[in-house]
Amino acid sequence: MAASNAQQSGKRHIRLKILRQEAQDKLPRYETFDVQPEPGANVISCLQQIAARPVTASGEQSTPVAYDAGCLEEVCGACTMVINGRVRQSCSCLIDQIAPNDGDTITLEPMTKFPVIRDLWVDRSRLFHALKRTSSWVPIDSIYDRGPGPKELPDKQEPRYVLSTCMSCGCCLEACPQYNPRPDEKDWDEAFIGAHAISQVRLFNLHDTGKQLKSERLEALMGPGGVSDCGNAQNCVKVCPKEIPLTESIAAIGRAVTVHSIARWFTAR
Amino acid sequence: MGHEEEGTLAKRYFLLRRLHSLTGILPIGVFLIFHLTTNSSVLWGAANTRAHADDLPGRGIATFQHEVSFINNLPGLLIMEITLWAAIAFHAILGIWYATTGKSNTARYPHMDNRRYALQRLTGYIALLFILYHIATLRWGWSFLVPGGVTWGHEHAASTLALALRGSADSITVAGLAVSLFYFVGVTSAVFHFANGLWTAAITWGLTISTAAQRRWGVVCAGLGILLMAMAWGSVVGFLFTDPEKAREIESAMHPEEDSTEHTARATTDGAP
Repeated sequence: MAASNAQQSGKRHIRLKILRQEAQDKLPRYETFDVQPEPGANVISCLQQIAARPVTASGEQSTPVAYDAGCLEEVCGACTMVINGRVRQSCSCLIDQIAPNDGDTITLEPMTKFPVIRDLWVDRSRLFHALKRTSSWVPIDSIYDRGPGPKELPDKQEPRYVLSTCMSCGCCLEACPQYNPRPDEKDWDEAFIGAHAISQVRLFNLHDTGKQLKSERLEALMGPGGVSDCGNAQNCVKVCPKEIPLTESIAAIGRAVTVHSIARWFTAR
Repeated sequence: MGHEEEGTLAKRYFLLRRLHSLTGILPIGVFLIFHLTTNSSVLWGAANTRAHADDLPGRGIATFQHEVSFINNLPGLLIMEITLWAAIAFHAILGIWYATTGKSNTARYPHMDNRRYALQRLTGYIALLFILYHIATLRWGWSFLVPGGVTWGHEHAASTLALALRGSADSITVAGLAVSLFYFVGVTSAVFHFANGLWTAAITWGLTISTAAQRRWGVVCAGLGILLMAMAWGSVVGFLFTDPEKAREIESAMHPEEDSTEHTARATTDGAP
């Protein structure tokens, strides 16, 4: 019914070529769907159209495409996928920009570095595990009332702000040649941790309360899979939707671990 | 694979990675600079008016021989060489190990930096093969790998090197050209690998933090790379077009005590500095 309405309205068609996979252990395959985007449509609204009428371009009955999404305004990172070969958020991917002409094709694929749950929906647990591995938080828990934290000055807040906009979306990891699939959870502590976590360590080590865990975080980044595993391909900074200076964070942490390791050599018992 | 072993690796991991970075610069990179400066003296030596030769190519040959003789008279040369070989082996083994942890994706993300990432690994492999061939043939005397079967002699530096690159004294043979081409690719890879590695090392150690600083240091590394590349290419071309007969005459004149009588007169008049 939806399709017949759309055809009558004379709006343009675009084609979505989607890499589908029923489950982690099933083989992936492409399926194409024709949709008629509304003005201002994004990739998610096209996927919603398909969900309303899951019929492929060749007229076969299919199933709604599974995907992850949350905020729909590029701050949660959940809807990250590979669109026309490049990783980005599907909510902020506007059809009028990426497929401006009638008959244009958009290719949607799940991120390749994380296990696929179904279709475009991936399991990003390893990404969050990296934040735990580096204690990427401000420690405020205590059995005593420790009173207010130290005063934060604007000149220290400002450089931290952009680092704090990281939404753990996974773009930097998807584009990184050093970050590769590790389906086995046991390998996560040895495999490259990725730019996002290194940048979060920089953020929390710059924070006056957060820096209580500075040494712990730096030592977590000195072992296998830490900051030394960066290969300086610098793809991370180019695909980051928040324009976080990830390569500067990596260099800053490089300096921090240089200083930390020398200091440790001279002071540790 | 016990837990203790893994624990030791984890503990030493940072040190190993930083030693890998360090050895690329010291001693390997520094040696590369000196080595290419010496080798390119076959060209820049033409400007050396104190060289014992009559024409410009001859001055280059004589200067190169003078440099090589100086190096071969250095005290503790073998210790320096073994240190260098050990550093290269360490850098290469760890480098190959690290390279296997990555998976290049230049097709999807064709950025310049990403291409450099891929090239850094590729040039590392090529440079390693080249260095092995280079040391085996011209230092360890594996002459069966050299067309014409010449063995390097440090008292006849330019002439034996020219023979190794040309394949024959009379003309450049096909096999000689193949060796020269391998030298060209090998030195190009080594120089790129060093210049790019110097750029990334500054990030690794945390010297260049801001993007602007990384760009500035990149200009310095590119400048050094271009200079070294010119010296490397100049050396290969210079020795490929060196006349081995003529070079041998000049070299013999510089070692009167070990050579046949025919050059003694000339050597006496010129004198050794």
